[in-house]
Amino acid sequence: MSLLDLQTAVGRLVRATDGHDPLRGLQLDPDERARLAALVERAGFRFTVDVQRSWCAGRAAGAAKLTLSLLPATERRRVLDDWVSAGGGTASFVATEADAFLEFIARRLRAPSHALTLCRFEQATLRASEGALGFAAPDPSWLAEPGWVLRTGRYAAVVRFHAAPHLVLAALEGQPLPPISPETTSVLFGPGLDGFSRLATSAEVALWERLGAPEALPVLIREGHRQEVIEALVTPGIVELAAT
Amino acid sequence: MIVRPLGVGLPYIAALPPEIYDPGRLDFVEVTPETLCRERRNGRVVTIELVPDQLERARRACGALPIVVHGVELSIGSAQGENAAYLDMLDAFQARWPFVWHSEHLGFQTIPGEDGTTLEVGVPLPLPATREAARLVAGRSAAIGARYGVPFLLENAAYYLSGLPADAEIGDDTGLLRAITERSGGFQLLDLHNVHCNAINQGTDPFAAIDGMPLGRVLEIHVAGGSWHDGFWMDAHDGRVPERVWTMLEYALPRTPNVAGVVFEVLEEHAVRLGVDVIAEELARARDIWRSCRRG
Repeated sequence: MSLLDLQTAVGRLVRATDGHDPLRGLQLDPDERARLAALVERAGFRFTVDVQRSWCAGRAAGAAKLTLSLLPATERRRVLDDWVSAGGGTASFVATEADAFLEFIARRLRAPSHALTLCRFEQATLRASEGALGFAAPDPSWLAEPGWVLRTGRYAAVVRFHAAPHLVLAALEGQPLPPISPETTSVLFGPGLDGFSRLATSAEVALWERLGAPEALPVLIREGHRQEVIEALVTPGIVELAAT
Repeated sequence: MIVRPLGVGLPYIAALPPEIYDPGRLDFVEVTPETLCRERRNGRVVTIELVPDQLERARRACGALPIVVHGVELSIGSAQGENAAYLDMLDAFQARWPFVWHSEHLGFQTIPGEDGTTLEVGVPLPLPATREAARLVAGRSAAIGARYGVPFLLENAAYYLSGLPADAEIGDDTGLLRAITERSGGFQLLDLHNVHCNAINQGTDPFAAIDGMPLGRVLEIHVAGGSWHDGFWMDAHDGRVPERVWTMLEYALPRTPNVAGVVFEVLEEHAVRLGVDVIAEELARARDIWRSCRRG
């Protein structure tokens, strides 16, 4: 067996595979399969798998502390187990792990719910803080140049709170969550904002939603989006310029 | 001497009070550059970037102490390819903060994904003691040594997974290190706690394992603590150095004529728990042994 095949087989056997055959697609003869079958029976192999799962769960838990702290203990364990079983927790860098794990958690949370809001809040804060490293505010005069479209920022987000944000955030300090309100408050996140966030106006939310697909400035102006609103979102990186 | 002897060192740990990096307590610092970095992914392109604030904070803490680099992300033994993004980052790191030598772990931690991407296993795994593995790692080691112009060291691994294939002429993990350093002209980081772990878990003689290493190529030695988990002694870096590992240090130092430094390894979370005084005691003991063996 080549080194590449051996490493692929052993690495897949150690990694969680979520029920799939870890040796699928590998060209192994019966002797090689028998050797691998004997390998996985060894206590040292089982311990290696235990260490892998423990490290992966530890990385994931450290990457989504706020959101996990809001979940009941049984649900917290279940979501970590499921994430590791799906192959998560292997990324060495916290931000990479956090973004993917928070997305995984978000898909499991009821909408609307304060838990989902706080999950998106944690994800948006991490993304904005990542984007802030090396962020330079763009010159809005570029908006006048042809050949650009506007799009939502790669390190930006809008998070909707279903109660006053300070009441929802107080739950992170042990306060009871307020009831879900039909009224929402939108918060903008961007790498160039002080503290990475601020309350959004309805015009800003409308522009953000319109930019689900990139669009040219003249089109947006024709549709009624105001230049000053656009500039206010471009400067802190909530909306970005991209070449057409 | 291949490099000027430095003495006793400690990893750079951001959570420790910077006062611990005091020439009165230690002689050099071992920096893991990845801890000062963030990763960026753009489609399949992955880059590792130094975070200027974190780098500056580390430099301030270490002051004028010399540094060596101890990487964890290279995956030098991955047959599908080593981590090129790590080496690109290390180029930038060296330009900003030169190091006396550079080390990595002998093993692999990435495999090919089914869609052509690279998958991280989540734990480092040992290499089989085969000619193919020796050739692969020796070639990469030689290239890395030339790229940075300072000695490149490979660390012997602690492993729980045994029973991987082996070629008779290589033999075992010790033979694999010998074969790699002979072919590459590279050097070894002799991790005595890893030898201790393997001796307990695999039932081998640690002193015979030390004797089997390419001792003339050893430039650095690690000592560390560990703990029992499910019947295995784990390389957990979670406490004081076991007495037997101190004895192994006393045994190894006189047999490693080119050794230039001893590092007490401890993980960040455990370093904070142990505290500065306990860490200082371990450093002092390492220094006593270093000075006594060098006098002998």
